[in-house]
Amino acid sequence: MANNEVLRKRVETLAARVNGELEESLGTLILKVKASHITETLTAAKNFEDTPCDFLHDLAGMDHNDHFEVVYQLCSLYGPQKLRVKAVVDRENPVIDSATSIWGGANFLEREAYDMFGIQFKGHPNLKRIYLWDDFVGFPMRKDYVTESPEVRNTVRVRREDD
Amino acid sequence: MDVAKEKELREAELLVEKNVLITNVDKLLNWARGHSFWPVTFGLACCAIEMMATGGPRYDLARFGWEVFRASPRQADVMIVAGTCTRKMAPLLRRVYDQMPEPKWVIAMGSCANAGGPFADSYSMITGVDKVVPVDVYIPGCPPRPESLIYGLMQLQYKVNNPGKVRLAKHGK
Amino acid sequence: MSVERTEELLLNMGPQHPSMHGVFRMVVHLEGEVVTKLDPKIGYLHRGMEKLAEGRTYPQFIPYTDRLDYLASPHNNFAYVLAVEKLMGVEIPERAEYLRIIFAELARIASHLVFIASAALDIAGWTGWGYAFRDRERILDLFEMTAGSRLTVNAMRIGGMSIEPPAEFWPALKSFLDDLPEMLEEYYGIYFGNEITMGRLKSVGILTPQMIQDLSITGPSLRASGIKYDVRRAEPYSIYDRFDFDIPVLHGCDSYDRNLIRLEEIKESAKILRQAVRDIPEGPIMAKVPKLIKPPAGEVYHRVENPKGELGFYIVSDGSTKPVRMRIRSGSFINLQVLDEICRGWKIQDVIAIFATLDAVLGEVDK
Repeated sequence: MANNEVLRKRVETLAARVNGELEESLGTLILKVKASHITETLTAAKNFEDTPCDFLHDLAGMDHNDHFEVVYQLCSLYGPQKLRVKAVVDRENPVIDSATSIWGGANFLEREAYDMFGIQFKGHPNLKRIYLWDDFVGFPMRKDYVTESPEVRNTVRVRREDD
Repeated sequence: MDVAKEKELREAELLVEKNVLITNVDKLLNWARGHSFWPVTFGLACCAIEMMATGGPRYDLARFGWEVFRASPRQADVMIVAGTCTRKMAPLLRRVYDQMPEPKWVIAMGSCANAGGPFADSYSMITGVDKVVPVDVYIPGCPPRPESLIYGLMQLQYKVNNPGKVRLAKHGK
Repeated sequence: MSVERTEELLLNMGPQHPSMHGVFRMVVHLEGEVVTKLDPKIGYLHRGMEKLAEGRTYPQFIPYTDRLDYLASPHNNFAYVLAVEKLMGVEIPERAEYLRIIFAELARIASHLVFIASAALDIAGWTGWGYAFRDRERILDLFEMTAGSRLTVNAMRIGGMSIEPPAEFWPALKSFLDDLPEMLEEYYGIYFGNEITMGRLKSVGILTPQMIQDLSITGPSLRASGIKYDVRRAEPYSIYDRFDFDIPVLHGCDSYDRNLIRLEEIKESAKILRQAVRDIPEGPIMAKVPKLIKPPAGEVYHRVENPKGELGFYIVSDGSTKPVRMRIRSGSFINLQVLDEICRGWKIQDVIAIFATLDAVLGEVDK
């Protein structure tokens, strides 16, 4: 399909510019970049000519055992293009630029990724825990997180005054 | 706030009543209480939808006298905990229970409220609301049918009418 | 001599409150009665489904998807099994495809009926609530006839359907579809055409197309603001490309149009159901899948048009029976971000009405 080829050409030029790897899986193009290039990649993808991937569909964290990844699913309301962008984040010091400057819709999604994995998003207006309470210790979705025993879980937590 | 201890104290209180003559006035009061429960709306998840359907036109709770779902706990006497109670929600559940005036009862509806349900081994769950409040009737199901909820409420009615029987070993006995 | 001054009031509409959307908490900053800022606080129903998925096999996770959007649970099953089948590359028999679409569209109608009921209830229209719940009982009867459960129907499996509807299903479905236009007329009379509804909802809570693009809003709210986009047409899944149905679009961008669009969607779903009942072939309902479901190593992202938004599953597998990562992209969670912007400048009673039209169900928001 013509749209697919145009998209592929654009993504290939972008990949060359930001040192990214391009793969394909079940009909979707996947672009893997380092965390430092992510703002440039996302802005460029949003402004592609003819096939702009301007709708942020999903933002998810992922834990491979030696590094984290933030996976962005992009599509568009005005065309069939879709793209998956993966940003590789260091595990010891997980910091990445926030996408809230590009799409306001990344707000809750980045808070969730911070809550579950501990990935810090630089430039987020309100990076606090969203699903779990503020005093919760640990980041549950990491592969090395151990769920506490029922006795510990059954003790009712004490609420902070400003909860 | 040891819930097991609290339940023991309540049962001891009721056992005292068993050994004391219960007068006609008390019988009348218990009958009236059982036939006009005012539940406080504590619907949390999917079981709340079945609770609403029970109050709906087909399975009518109003014909039993229980249709008045009060939003404020200070005006209610039954708390039907319908749905999953997470660790984040637990202190708020206890707070609403504490705000209810005596006499008060708690019904745990659905398997999440009974024992944690399918999510019992999750990092954010307590294994049943009886770790937070003392429960009188447990209704199993996921979600329980409206008829099950009505049966559970009738068991509570039986328990209220017979204060000497603290634990019903078989259905209605 | 006393000095008068005005202060901002912080009102906590706590997790337990009479509006029946579940455990949702808002901290509302008020200037008198007008809202200046709204801070939603969620997580009171967070059950950790994504972490639980890493400990369960693929078929064992299907009942968990029921409990995401519990008002339209067959549709969530549909989204999940489609994602896993895309990863595995399985061909589904024709009869199973038609049956799945019948269940999914019935779920859509049931969810929109609960929307009408709760929207009516939030502006104190108890009659509308009763009527919509009465009619929803007929759909729940259909689910119960087939799968045994009214609410959390678990009838779909990876590779087809688990169970065939009995003989009484088809006449009951036909009579429901015949009675549907009359029911919709009743709702129009009680709720949508009511002067009070129009006065409370028209021009309240404007959602512009720019906000939709920026905040990633999906679902019927998108179509009530003039954007004609539906995943069933944009990226057709299952056999939706064989059915003849329109995508209703309204251009008002306000709460009243967000209500009305769901009525239109019920009519379109009824169209799809009639065509499915007419065209369904005989045949098996389950494909030949291995006993132990082991998708090949890889990843897939699949999205469907849930009644409340778009539900997407991002599944990463390494060839074993349990997934490495199961990400659930739920429409209600992302749609909730718009609540702050859309409520500014309105009063408290409008906040309740606007929140009802966003149609967020907390099972999906909190996972």
